[in-house]
Amino acid sequence: MKVQQALFILLTASIFYSCDSGGDDTSEDNFDRQAMLVNWADNIIIPAYQDYEEKLETLNQEANSFANTPTANQLVVLRESWMSAYKAWQWVAMFEIGRAETIGLQGYTNSYPVDVANMLANIESGNYNLELPSRRDQQGFGGLDYLINGLADSDTEIVARYADSNTAEAHQTYLTDLTSRLLSLTSDVLDDWQNGYRETFVNNDGSSATGAVNKLTNDYIFYFEKHLRASKVGVPAGVFSGTPDATDVEAYYSTSFSKALFKEALAASEAFFNGRHFGSGTLGSGFSDYLNYLNTIKEGPDLVEIINDQFSVIASTSDQLADSFSDQIKNDNTLMLNTYDELQTNVISFKIDMLQALNIKVDYVDADGD
Amino acid sequence: MKISKLYIGLLFTSISLSSCSDDESTISIETPTNYSFSRDGSSTVSFGGQTTRIAMAEELISALTDETKSKESLLSMFAHEEGDSDFSDAELNASSKSVRSKTAASNDFFSNNTTDASAIKTQLDNWIGSQHDEVFPQWEVQAESGTAGQIADGESTRYISANGVEYNQLVGKSLIGALMVDQILNNYLSTAVLDEATNIEDNDAEVVADGEIYTTMEHKWDEAYGYLYGASVDATDPNATLGDDDSFLNKYVAKVDANQYYTGIADDIFDAFKLGRAAIVAKDYTVRDEQAEIIKENLSKVIAVRAVHYLQAGKDAVATQNYGGAFHDLSEALGFVYSLQFTRKPNSEASYFSKNEVDQFIEDILAEENGLWNVSATTLDDISNEIVDAFDLVLAEAVE
Repeated sequence: MKVQQALFILLTASIFYSCDSGGDDTSEDNFDRQAMLVNWADNIIIPAYQDYEEKLETLNQEANSFANTPTANQLVVLRESWMSAYKAWQWVAMFEIGRAETIGLQGYTNSYPVDVANMLANIESGNYNLELPSRRDQQGFGGLDYLINGLADSDTEIVARYADSNTAEAHQTYLTDLTSRLLSLTSDVLDDWQNGYRETFVNNDGSSATGAVNKLTNDYIFYFEKHLRASKVGVPAGVFSGTPDATDVEAYYSTSFSKALFKEALAASEAFFNGRHFGSGTLGSGFSDYLNYLNTIKEGPDLVEIINDQFSVIASTSDQLADSFSDQIKNDNTLMLNTYDELQTNVISFKIDMLQALNIKVDYVDADGD
Repeated sequence: MKISKLYIGLLFTSISLSSCSDDESTISIETPTNYSFSRDGSSTVSFGGQTTRIAMAEELISALTDETKSKESLLSMFAHEEGDSDFSDAELNASSKSVRSKTAASNDFFSNNTTDASAIKTQLDNWIGSQHDEVFPQWEVQAESGTAGQIADGESTRYISANGVEYNQLVGKSLIGALMVDQILNNYLSTAVLDEATNIEDNDAEVVADGEIYTTMEHKWDEAYGYLYGASVDATDPNATLGDDDSFLNKYVAKVDANQYYTGIADDIFDAFKLGRAAIVAKDYTVRDEQAEIIKENLSKVIAVRAVHYLQAGKDAVATQNYGGAFHDLSEALGFVYSLQFTRKPNSEASYFSKNEVDQFIEDILAEENGLWNVSATTLDDISNEIVDAFDLVLAEAVE
């Protein structure tokens, strides 16, 4: 009898224990997820894509103008439009969901470093299929960077490639193929948001792994970890390989644009965390509200303050970096590593503390390279 | 009443478990810190042939993603003949060793089963050939259901057959079983090999092999060791770089060890190799064979855990329509499943799964229209559970 009683207690204890780890917090979570999704879609994601698409239209027009009239002045105008669109891209890059996920928008838009040898082979042969996954590093903003900044040492020589009868047509075609592809990929994604996906997205407000909140939260953190932290800073600074490589930076050929792109991306990431409307200071529902709400149920450390304070630290640390990350790496890589470390602090806050608070599981694994 | 019986049973189990640990005191041979053994001041450890075959297998699997290679050159890398210029490394070209000749070639499993041995070698020939015939011509084509070509998997680009199979993964992971595991478990750690001819007599009397510094038994044990650690930076202390040294068994022992539920398995395997080798030096064949069993059990488990891991990872990726990731995982799964036929149940002559059983698993996984494109989640679960049951694993642990 005694044995049975003891066993009963053990059994009961184990049942209680398993309940504890099962995340029963959700029953108390009455946060309006749909309102957050609506704010994300209507005030952040769709306006950011509209802005980006407009800038891609300009870029595409300027590329065609330059192809028709390859002059040094027109090259400068083209570069301006490329920079403007490239910055706008940083505000949508984290939303790899829906159509963007299906077509792999990120990979075709912003893979770097680019494969120069294959790009030159493509230009030479005129025979290439930009839709293939293996051609992702031969197109997009990185591909354009090479075409308008890296083809030769001086502007005069670059212009000559588009003007000399031997090389002009092949270069003009490749240039406009890249700009029109960027535009069509993005129009495809924006059309989808505007023709049904927005409704799918905001109505998918459950808390399952396939719910829109769970998915976009994962996308957001994945972007922060993989692109903002690793690709823009960690990889060129040699964090993973042990050997810094100044040629791995974003927009390498434009020589002094990498910091500006990083800053845009950082601002976009911070704005999304706080639910800030695109292009304005208005605050709407976002992670910060959700976390604050959950904190009223379960007293814990003020995660919103911790994460926002860390965003400020990242901003002030990266302020010290040179406009050209490749120069920074060559001259004083320590500052790059410092920036990486500060970014990593928020990766941990997102991946561990925020996901635990939101009761969301990580749906991606670090690629193991096999 | 039932409960009390159960409780008593538990009690006895725990008593017998705790008494086990006392046995260790009867082992008088100490486990050395490093895998270094010498006679008259010179090292007796040698496994050059294994290092060579690992290097050949590495070049082979790299070549499987070089679409400019001819079918003949791929098959020659697999079945190298001395002096042929099959590899980029001149030393490999000069070598008399070959990967194919040691594929499904263990004493215990294949010396009297040349039928299966030949079928397995031919199977690998066919997969290598299919990479050339089916996938290379489609190198610049976007893959779709029923059409071979390339597919994105995150930032990587994978090359798959019409039914979604990455033959390079299938071949690489099958070799882990057919070459490494089979040679270690069913050949060099087999008493039939260790104790062959006058090996015990010679080892007892420290009669060394012709023109060598080691006894034949010492060398056989080292050859088992070399199939796991032969590419290590420092093979006397291989766990320092475990996982970074090859793309085969070494890599996946490290991956399983990195899973919190199996942490320590890499040390267990290395310790058993060291103690077993020390036991040969001490002429204690009982301790040697106990260590061989530990190695067999754990290396078999590595294959099973990775098979389940990739089957489940593939299943999850299919569910989210991440086909590139799914096919990559499932192609690795197919190779690890194929490798299960070379595992070894402790203290027995049998593998955990027969050749017929793994052939059937592979057929089942590819049974739907266009193979992996329409793979059945139920089938993947069923096979995972069969493996889990046979090895007494916990599914959720293996998945991590």
